[in-house]
Amino acid sequence: MPPPQPTATPALELRGVTRRFGTHTALDDVDLTVAAGEVHCVLGENGAGKSTLCHLVFGTLPPTRGELLLDGAPYSPASPAEALRLGVGMVHQHFSLVPTLTVQENLLLGRGRRLRPDRAGLAERLGEIEQDLGLRVDPAAVTGSLSVGARQQVEIVRALLDRPRLLLLDEPTGVLGPADVERLLATCRRVAATGTAVVLITHKLAEVMRVGDRATVLRGGRVVGGGRIARTTDDVGTLRDDVGTGALSAADLVPLMIGRDVRMLDPVLAASVDVGATAAAPRPGVPVPGERPPAVLDVRGLVVEDADGARLVDGVDLAVGHGEVVGIAGVEGNGQSELVAALSGARGPSAGQVLLDGDDITRATPGRRTALGLGVVPEDRHHEAVVPALSVTTNLLLGRLGAYRRFGLLDRRALRADARDLAARFDVRAADLDAPLSSLSGGNQQKAVLARELSLDPLRCVVAAQPTRGLDLGAVDDVVTRLRDAATSGVAVLVVSSELSELLATCDRVHVAYRGRLSGPVPTDAPDARDQVAHLMTGAAA
Amino acid sequence: MLAALAGAPPAEAAAALWDGMVGTPYAIGSAVNTAAVLLLVAAGFLLAHRAGLVNVGGEGQICVGAVAATAVGTALPPSVPPALALPLVLLAAAAGGAGWAAIAAWLAVRRGVSEVITTLLLNFVGAAVLVLAVHEEALLRQPVTSSETLPQSAPLVEAAHLPLLGIPGSPATVAPVLALAAAGVVALVLHRTGTGIRLAAVGLSRPAAHRLGLGVDRLRFSALTGAGAAAGVAGGVLVASAPHVLDDGISSGYGFSGLVVGLLARGSCAAAVAVATALGFLVSGGINLQLAAGVPASLTQVAESLLILGIAGTAIWAVRAARPRRAHRPDPTSPRAEATP
Repeated sequence: MPPPQPTATPALELRGVTRRFGTHTALDDVDLTVAAGEVHCVLGENGAGKSTLCHLVFGTLPPTRGELLLDGAPYSPASPAEALRLGVGMVHQHFSLVPTLTVQENLLLGRGRRLRPDRAGLAERLGEIEQDLGLRVDPAAVTGSLSVGARQQVEIVRALLDRPRLLLLDEPTGVLGPADVERLLATCRRVAATGTAVVLITHKLAEVMRVGDRATVLRGGRVVGGGRIARTTDDVGTLRDDVGTGALSAADLVPLMIGRDVRMLDPVLAASVDVGATAAAPRPGVPVPGERPPAVLDVRGLVVEDADGARLVDGVDLAVGHGEVVGIAGVEGNGQSELVAALSGARGPSAGQVLLDGDDITRATPGRRTALGLGVVPEDRHHEAVVPALSVTTNLLLGRLGAYRRFGLLDRRALRADARDLAARFDVRAADLDAPLSSLSGGNQQKAVLARELSLDPLRCVVAAQPTRGLDLGAVDDVVTRLRDAATSGVAVLVVSSELSELLATCDRVHVAYRGRLSGPVPTDAPDARDQVAHLMTGAAA
Repeated sequence: MLAALAGAPPAEAAAALWDGMVGTPYAIGSAVNTAAVLLLVAAGFLLAHRAGLVNVGGEGQICVGAVAATAVGTALPPSVPPALALPLVLLAAAAGGAGWAAIAAWLAVRRGVSEVITTLLLNFVGAAVLVLAVHEEALLRQPVTSSETLPQSAPLVEAAHLPLLGIPGSPATVAPVLALAAAGVVALVLHRTGTGIRLAAVGLSRPAAHRLGLGVDRLRFSALTGAGAAAGVAGGVLVASAPHVLDDGISSGYGFSGLVVGLLARGSCAAAVAVATALGFLVSGGINLQLAAGVPASLTQVAESLLILGIAGTAIWAVRAARPRRAHRPDPTSPRAEATP
């Protein structure tokens, strides 16, 4: 084999790669070329095949057909261990660190079969990484005590320890706050500058525009487009020449991603991919600010403590009126989950009060809350919102099975008829309503949850936690529209989300959660709403 | 082969085993009776298992159920008609087993203690309760008249005996009918009622079931006590069958064999019936193997266990082969249902 020429030989090349799962083709004849020293973004909605691509390159899965080349040499890793040995590092979407170990111990895990771990060697390498890339981690810190951003840095450092030729990052920004995202993107550029090829897998267009040299867009498992990315502003600080001939802009990429034109998009949707308007679309029936309607959901001084007495929710006051959509923004882990758990009845508050239309539901059972008209879309869909192994029908109607008794047995015909009706009304697309819910796509699962919660009678208030997480754009559009429609019909809606653009486009006002407290609210029709909220997310007001 | 180890010719041993399984009406009858006890325990196991609870306590529940049944069955005046006596005895047995399981159920629901541990440990306590009951004259031991008086209870009143099915030469009682009915009821509850669906939801995801307003604690408690009641009835059936007395060896492992049946049935009541029947015949054949071929009891048990392992192994193999092999975890992002318009 001739020695690879540094400029001509791509770091990673995929030729006609296909991967099938049963009858489903996750990747279909994909060609991809990643040059050394570039940041290559792989862009696509959920289900486009991005994760499968990662699995193939990192050796978790073999391709069904086609070949992979690493630095020009055939590359077919049988396992992640082999991929690591051949110089491919990966940062997973979900962290793979042991929280009770220190950073140093985590970094030494799985490194060779030495009786005594090579601490000195590690320290030396950490020094190099800090010098070259400005990435600093504290080896003595216990991993679980670090912030999410810091933990991700540990992940990145771990992937860089062996000087990989190729660094894969799978949806790295999903859990990060704005400042951490900035830092991550800057890190990507610096790693690329050392000659390592960086593959950034993402569905967030804004990030691609900020950091990418080139992009490949996947849709439905096929490469639908790609090329060099145009730069209008360069905020990462690297000097780039951009003459703009044939380079892709955001407006070029969106239709490739979703297969629709930007102009066809709902303003909310457009906002969520950071193109077009970000102002809330005016809704009929929205009360004029200033004359706040009587609160439907009234939270007073709510405190939720963990087992050690630490205050996860620290005295939250919140009021949501008829027809209002109120948002809670914030980086995850600032008490939003616990607040929703206390509102839904999953977790008992240690102080404070929750009123629903005047009824005290602070300690009511979930069943009573439902009966009083509180719909909840929980944050963790698979864990709390649905039972994936049960049928779609059952999941839609599980809470009201009592209404379907006939001679002591279940009236399955009536059950199916009602489920069919609900599925049709809320556009839940299922081939078979008796099939397990897990056979539906994420978007349809979430639509099923919405169908169940929004069809409550009476419905007074809906609490939706991260309702669009992990959904593709079409489903996001649907979920957001449903929530806004509910508000229009007079329901009080509380949305907790880490997607700021979506909140700004959906809500009337946005609170910001920081360390268990709420600040704000910021009215979303203020011209600088985004900046105000982003400012509050850093804890400025707390 | 194991029989050869013990000095019995294999051919003779096989013949003895076969004879003990289906050779005589007596063999078939006792096999069916055994199967009934196993099926009762297994039906209860399936009920609790649907709610995500593993009842390992069949043995202890059988013991306590048998003690309760004996207490009622020996205390009844002889004039009570069978139509009253038998239900009373079986009800007492069910209450005994349910009460025993309720301890574990309460601990699981209120204190979060694993029911696997508590039901398992309560087996030993239950067995000890049984031993105590048949050794103490103040409790259930028959009147001691000489030093040869066995540590067992007085026989149950005539009216409390389980009626025979009336097949000539067969000891088969109505227990199989009872067990089939119990399995039928469990199947009906699990598959055709709201309760069955709620139990499944609780078993699959407690947070989601709680979120949807189901009485998670109540459902779990009832499922485990229900399992205990079924095992208790099995104990009642044992004392209400010949020789109609309670002795300290009455269960002889039915609780654990019933657990095996429940596990092998993988949630299906029909499969439980089949497995219990097969196991019943195997146990009955094993007894004859001891009697006719002179193989030691421990060896027949080893042989039985190996057979069960073999059957379970091949069954799992067959199930695996029937399903398409999964090379990996299903990709959570793959749009499996998006093919549907």
